[in-house]
Amino acid sequence: MEEILNSLDGCQRAGAPDFFYTRLKAKMENGREVSTAQSWVLRPVYAVAALLVVLLINAVVIFSSNNNSSFEDKASVDTEVFQSIAAEYRLNDNSTLYDINQDK
Amino acid sequence: MNEQELIQGLRNADDTAFRYLVDTYKDRVFNTAIGIVQNAEDAEDVAQEVFIQVFRSIKDFKEESKLSTWVYRITTTRALDLLRSRKSKKRFGIIQRLFGEGNEPVHEIPDFNHPGVALDRKENAAKLFKAIAQLPENQKIAFTLHKLEDLSYQEVSEVMKTSVAAIESLMHRAKQNLRKILEKEKG
Repeated sequence: MEEILNSLDGCQRAGAPDFFYTRLKAKMENGREVSTAQSWVLRPVYAVAALLVVLLINAVVIFSSNNNSSFEDKASVDTEVFQSIAAEYRLNDNSTLYDINQDK
Repeated sequence: MNEQELIQGLRNADDTAFRYLVDTYKDRVFNTAIGIVQNAEDAEDVAQEVFIQVFRSIKDFKEESKLSTWVYRITTTRALDLLRSRKSKKRFGIIQRLFGEGNEPVHEIPDFNHPGVALDRKENAAKLFKAIAQLPENQKIAFTLHKLEDLSYQEVSEVMKTSVAAIESLMHRAKQNLRKILEKEKG
């Protein structure tokens, strides 16, 4: 047991692999290229363009909702016309032919 | 280059200073990492991340400790991070297999042979490393820094930001746990 526990006594330090520095620098260069590629999105011109697109979409939505409300006005006018015609011909009258006996 | 010049050079992103840092510390970092992660490829990855982190955060180094102490601290932290991520990948793999996905065979990690161990001690050292892998994190770090890097209890306490008495206690418990684990493996 003690032999096992002491088996690391006098152990030599494991050396870093060959070309460690070269590979490290390559990794750092690759990391820099990736972050540069991603950073173009954050440039101000793209942020402003995105904002304008959002504003445009808002304007389209607002404009189209205004058009819908004028359609509703037209629909309400049509309803009034129908109702006046119905009233003239007593089509919306609740009394029916079945009230004939009422006159007697 | 003395330590002050090195730190100043690193802060100026001087390539010569960085090369000097890597040449001076790469074996210490690699040896510490391999003792904890017990795999040469992973240890190299950890070592690379350590130097990248040193380069990026040298401006945050307050010089309250030696540069070597700071480098050891980053190394042990990064190595433990890798162990934790390995553990969570293993857990996820088990869940995948429960749900019928992830049919890749589970590869058992082979016994670790530290390249610096003498030939006549390799077998015992492999058993010891297997037991070290089962220690709690703090005990693992203290034991590895003391036994593999030959740091004194004082130096280990500076790396782990604790007292010498705490390191003595950690080492005592580490040895007790290692004995228990080795007895169990023998049985």
